[in-house]
Amino acid sequence: MSRTEHEAPPIRTSPNRVVKMLAIIIGIQVVGGALFFTHYDFWNSYIPIAGVKQEKEMANETTTNTGPPNIQGIFSGKEIDVPLKFVESSDFTKYGFNAPFGQSGANPEIHAAVGDKIVFSVANGGKSFHAFAITTSTSGPGPAVPDTTIGTADSPMKPGQSGTVTFIPAGDGTYYYICAVPGHRELGMEGKIEVGAGQAGTGGTAAATGNKVEFSLSFEMSPDFAHYGFNAPIGQTNANPDIKVKSGDTVTIHLKNNSKSFHAFGVVIDPENPAAVLWSSAFKTPDSPMKPGESGDVTFVAGTPGVYHYICTVPGHAALGMNGNLIVS
Amino acid sequence: MVLELQKPRPVWQIMFSTHHTDVAYLYTVTSLAFLFMGGVLALMIRTHLAMPGAGFLISDPATFNRIFTVHGTTMLFLFALPFAAGIGNYLVPIMVRYKDMAYPKLNAVAFWMVPVSGALIWLGFSDTTWVAYAPYSILRAPGPAADMWIFGLKIAGISSILSSINFVVTILKCKHPDLPLRKVPLFAWSMLTVSVMTLVAMPTFAASLIMMLTDRLAVSGFFNPSMGGDPIAYLHLFWFTFHPEVYIFLLPAIGMMYEIIPRFSRKPLFSQGSGVFAFVMLGMIGFASWGHHMYSTGMDFTTKTVFMIGTLAAVPASGMHVFNFLATMWGGRIRFDAPMKFMVGGIALFFSAGAGGVLNTAMPLDFITHGTYWVVGHMHLFLTGTIAFGFVGMMYYIFPLFTGRMYSEKWASVQFILMMWGTVQVFFTQHILGLEGMARRIYDYPTEFTSWTQLNQIASVGAWILGASFVIFLGQLIYYSAKGKEANMDDPFNLGGKYYYPYQAKTPHHTGY
Repeated sequence: MSRTEHEAPPIRTSPNRVVKMLAIIIGIQVVGGALFFTHYDFWNSYIPIAGVKQEKEMANETTTNTGPPNIQGIFSGKEIDVPLKFVESSDFTKYGFNAPFGQSGANPEIHAAVGDKIVFSVANGGKSFHAFAITTSTSGPGPAVPDTTIGTADSPMKPGQSGTVTFIPAGDGTYYYICAVPGHRELGMEGKIEVGAGQAGTGGTAAATGNKVEFSLSFEMSPDFAHYGFNAPIGQTNANPDIKVKSGDTVTIHLKNNSKSFHAFGVVIDPENPAAVLWSSAFKTPDSPMKPGESGDVTFVAGTPGVYHYICTVPGHAALGMNGNLIVS
Repeated sequence: MVLELQKPRPVWQIMFSTHHTDVAYLYTVTSLAFLFMGGVLALMIRTHLAMPGAGFLISDPATFNRIFTVHGTTMLFLFALPFAAGIGNYLVPIMVRYKDMAYPKLNAVAFWMVPVSGALIWLGFSDTTWVAYAPYSILRAPGPAADMWIFGLKIAGISSILSSINFVVTILKCKHPDLPLRKVPLFAWSMLTVSVMTLVAMPTFAASLIMMLTDRLAVSGFFNPSMGGDPIAYLHLFWFTFHPEVYIFLLPAIGMMYEIIPRFSRKPLFSQGSGVFAFVMLGMIGFASWGHHMYSTGMDFTTKTVFMIGTLAAVPASGMHVFNFLATMWGGRIRFDAPMKFMVGGIALFFSAGAGGVLNTAMPLDFITHGTYWVVGHMHLFLTGTIAFGFVGMMYYIFPLFTGRMYSEKWASVQFILMMWGTVQVFFTQHILGLEGMARRIYDYPTEFTSWTQLNQIASVGAWILGASFVIFLGQLIYYSAKGKEANMDDPFNLGGKYYYPYQAKTPHHTGY
């Protein structure tokens, strides 16, 4: 097929057009890349509604559980150190802590009281991946007590890695320390933590010993009124400091209302029952509270030993964060 | 219309044209852009896995999941499908001797859905894996990425349904009255087969995407066990679409081989009839084997046997294609130009991938290989070894028609050697890695498993070789479309004989680029 004289020569791609085409393609990619990286956290920012619903249902199931509360308690007792090591039998059929399940020394049982601080030093001494967790659930991998995990099933501890976990039981009953990698608990990586009855204060009075102690507290609120607290809104490091006194001490607390709302002070056993104020420790009441900027002192005699709560007695404020520990020893 | 053009047109005229060659050009360029983007992700994954325990390049598992999800989705839906549609757009109207596709505007709409779907998939960068199995995808996959992935695939699915309608109507209703259907060239037959398959298979996946979306919104519970749904139902719906989809990816590549092998053997095709028969057989058998993806979900023995036989039934039809190619080449005066090299390499790898597939379909072995790197190696050997080889060969074949210029034969040979070498090294090794027990989709593995480390490093070196071959390909496409020597538009490969596109041989079709 030869070309005749009057036919125009074929039109061919020119460098100019190739550059234009590349500019369009690369331009789109640059704009897309900029959009992607400037919003990097946005693209994976929420889990689907079905997942949220499922998590809520799972949380409801744990509250109906008859076991102890699945939360961290408040430190008021002694400190217990527990070293643990993940190990597997050489044929990988039996797993365990410190020794494979079934052998002596495997999965030591821990006894503690409510409020004790149990410090686990956990090392992965096996050849497989593991993850440490403490749970009230009697089977399966979870749900874990908050802040008691080292690694997760998705991002586990590699062989040789180690870490520590601090666990303060919040109620009496049986907790379990387990490997959270699915299947490992069933192969033997499960130990019991038996927690005895706690030492919450009984609220009894004690005779004044004449020993005097003084503390200062201020009522604080975050600018959006979502977080309350003593000395700082809850969630910050210096919020709600623990106050430690001896039974019979005469305690004086200098109070100041630094917030934009009304508050009142009191020491109670149960923060959900703010009306039952102990030892005449109330300063002002919800009906006639401290106004913003107001300050004042309250003095009372600490009663029988135990853990008490100093709170804002205005209903709802304790739950929003105005709740600290008063530890009487 | 394009054919009467005497001078280059402005860019926007090409971009918003509805002519089949323009749309073909847009499809091809877009899909190749996505090929290189997806390839970068693949190299990141392989480089990361070469160094266990180091967390090199990809520092957290969630990002790793997102990368292989987008890699898979891109290669399948933004490269393989649009590339086949692009070449089909270019050749099918010419092969059936019609002036354009049956519905030119629909054709352009189908193309413009591809960049939209690509933008959704790449902006979200979801972590559901390309199969998006429930319950993870409905309960935990973080939004908006996963929702964007769902909509991206929805749009890609609609695009492929629209272009399938167009192909079916063009081939069946618009072909020249003098051309009987059985004489329609086999590449057009492959496009007809995959279009009909798409029309049957794709709506199922489209429906399951909607179910997945409503499940995520917690208004339905099709796949949500806590609402009485069944995650296995998603697998059935998904694989009912995506086992046929395997053939939808594969058959255009086979059709391209039917176009190129007789041409470069300078000999008529051995058997048109057996090619047509094998296409139609594969098109039907493709629907009888989806269950072999889910042997380990607790199917009963009879069901598994049925799916096993259904899968094995694809072997004779695939064999017919291979024997047809070999018989066509037998005794021909073969010219091993780049398109022919890639086609012959594609046949060899098609055979090895097919042999691995036959092993996979035997359910006792499948229980060992399921969810391991064996499966990764098998599917990539098919997709790279057969489909990408066919597509790259076709790209070299059609290059002079798009640009009016010739690529460099020397560099094409280098690319072929590297690509063949790399493909074998990566994907054969991954089969062995699977037998060693390495699970697919894992972010990291213990350094104590030295055999895994060694095999992974072999595979990663292979991946870099494969990557190098594609860098050469990209260089060819860019440099030689600007500076290549002018092609003889009547017979670019100097083969003699008759082309399917006689009227077009006078001028390159794609004037302008």
